Amino acid sequence: MTAATQSVTDRSSFAGARMRIVTSLGGIVIVLVAAAILTPSFYGSANLNDLFRQIGFIGVAAIGQTFVLLVAGIDLSVGAMLGLAMVVSAQLTGGHNDALAVAVLAALGLGLLGGALNAGLVVGRRVPPFVATFATFTLIEGGISAWTKGSPSGQVPPGLSWVGAKSIAGVPTPILIFVVLLAVAAFVLGRTSYGRRVYATGANPAASRLSGVPVRAVVTSTYLISAVLALIAGLMTSGYTGYVDNYLSHNLNLDSIAAAVVGGTALTGGKGGVGRTTIGVVLIAVLIDFLGLLGVGNAGQLLIEGAVILGAVWLQGRGRSAAQTG
Amino acid sequence: MKAHRNPALSRFAVLASTAALVLAASACSTSRQVGGSNSAAAQDCGGKSTAQKQIDAVWQKAGANLGLSGLRPAETNVCQVDTSKYKKNGPYTIAYASQGPTNSWAMEADYFIKNEAAKQHAKLLYASANGDAGTQVNNIQDLLAQKPDALIVQPMGSSVVGQVRQAAQRDIPVVVCTGRLPDGTPGVVSTVGRSYELQGTLLATWLAKKINGKGRIAILSGIPGVPTTEYEYQAAKKVFAGYPGIQVVTRQYTHWSPTEAKKVAAQLAVRYPNLDGIWTDSGVSETGVIQAYQAAHQKIPPMTGDSSNAFLRAASTASGVQFAQSAYPPEQTRTCLDTAVSVLQGKKVANVVEVNSAVYTNAELAKYYRKDCTDNLWIPTELTMAEAKKLKVC
Repeated sequence: MTAATQSVTDRSSFAGARMRIVTSLGGIVIVLVAAAILTPSFYGSANLNDLFRQIGFIGVAAIGQTFVLLVAGIDLSVGAMLGLAMVVSAQLTGGHNDALAVAVLAALGLGLLGGALNAGLVVGRRVPPFVATFATFTLIEGGISAWTKGSPSGQVPPGLSWVGAKSIAGVPTPILIFVVLLAVAAFVLGRTSYGRRVYATGANPAASRLSGVPVRAVVTSTYLISAVLALIAGLMTSGYTGYVDNYLSHNLNLDSIAAAVVGGTALTGGKGGVGRTTIGVVLIAVLIDFLGLLGVGNAGQLLIEGAVILGAVWLQGRGRSAAQTG
Repeated sequence: MKAHRNPALSRFAVLASTAALVLAASACSTSRQVGGSNSAAAQDCGGKSTAQKQIDAVWQKAGANLGLSGLRPAETNVCQVDTSKYKKNGPYTIAYASQGPTNSWAMEADYFIKNEAAKQHAKLLYASANGDAGTQVNNIQDLLAQKPDALIVQPMGSSVVGQVRQAAQRDIPVVVCTGRLPDGTPGVVSTVGRSYELQGTLLATWLAKKINGKGRIAILSGIPGVPTTEYEYQAAKKVFAGYPGIQVVTRQYTHWSPTEAKKVAAQLAVRYPNLDGIWTDSGVSETGVIQAYQAAHQKIPPMTGDSSNAFLRAASTASGVQFAQSAYPPEQTRTCLDTAVSVLQGKKVANVVEVNSAVYTNAELAKYYRKDCTDNLWIPTELTMAEAKKLKVC
């Protein structure tokens, strides 16, 4: 590749990224305007509170997913990690606050083990991330099922409601937690050598290795980060409802990937970031909330969400084509 | 919570959906079942009035508990089946193709049928489908290979019809337990369970009368397409259609998830403030409604559901909440086993056995709420405290 073609490719890539951001922001604006016209109750304080909570839940899981996507991986075990956090917090505490700290530490420890397993399979055995994290998902699900005799349910300690159901100065705690974690993640990815190594590893692992980047360690760290953040999201959502809920993993597993992809983080690694993911998180959460208020049924919601994700992936593909042919 | 909540399958579907998402499409599926009416094979079937009387009695008792007189089932094809051709001497070997303990309801249901088998001195061949229809197909094949005297199926879907037909070809009587198979499935001697139509009709009638036949109500159903969801909804819809003053403003699905229910209910409170009533098919959904309305500082409208300790705990924290509950008891699997034994003893059995259950309102909250037990307990329970502790529900 000559300097000229490299320059054209960079410009095309930059234009593609900018277009995705503009499109996502445009999507948010369109939904917000539509909500103002069709469902004015969208802007009521009760609904906004709930919307902010949902942004917090999806956002925390999506930050972790973004780290993994940036190194060209994918984490399908996020849902299982959520389930693990809920089950551990319920089973070890029996719904009481006394052993909450122990349960949280145990959940984090088990989550790190799960993350390490993902990393071990991907880095150590070169198993494709899709397969490796799916295996971990299945393993954790099986473990939960065996532990709970097939009945993963129960109460979580009321103390957890502080991270899911409460507010501080009128602002729901989930979004506060998300904002703090977002700031930390943005700093780490944007201002530290570790962050640069994450991008370099995702963009070109071979070149990164030759440049002295500890690629294996970097990839490993992203799976650990994703696992821990998924567990935190799990604890937050448990605190929101107060119950262990099988269905939770369903939504957040999907939404965490969707938010990152819609925001413009590339599935091929090396491009994107938590800022873009935040845009995706807001778009997904606002869209789900708006459709819910509209009374659109489950099938309609899935169709529209699916269309938005398709659009995002199509834009990614278009950006790549432009870069390759530019 | 119902027999056919299916987290394992749902999670598989999640992964499948995730894969599709990554490949640029997103779709979600959950277990789907094709339901049939409660009719069994027509051969050797008479005594309609006896069978109908039993069903009428169940409906009347349920209605009476809520102060509703004249609650009657629709005309159905019910009868007494002559089972003399299946008669044999015990002890019996009975195969049980179970849903598997995928939730606390199913865990208790398994416990009850195993206990009942021991009491009846029957050998129970047990196979768990883990909530998966495909697994259940294989399970039934394996169970039939062990030459049981009878087969009890807790069906995960109509995909097991072929295996049930095989049982019929081998002269093995089949009892369908807490679920349904398509109309006319050969080999099905009896279908045992709490009637979906009764649940839907009973709770809708109570709600309609509670709001004096007029007002705006919302419907919260479980998983789209699942018979438990759809049959109960259809029955409720029929009742509400008889009240021109009642407007059903929306129907939403909670997937029998407390989180989803809370989310949906929070939006209900915003979109339709001052609803007059909420009809739900599940205590899980009701729990979410209470939480959401409490968070929104709104008055909780009268509502309905089945009977879980989780809901009763939530209701005990909400002053003045009005509700009606009709239990979907895990204990009904005992009746499934008893019916299978009756068939093997050559006794006449009804082709449709509707099960009684506890029906009550908020006036009896203190009587039914088990503060000493966990949210996993299904109310009321016939478990002893020792059994409940063993199952970790108390």
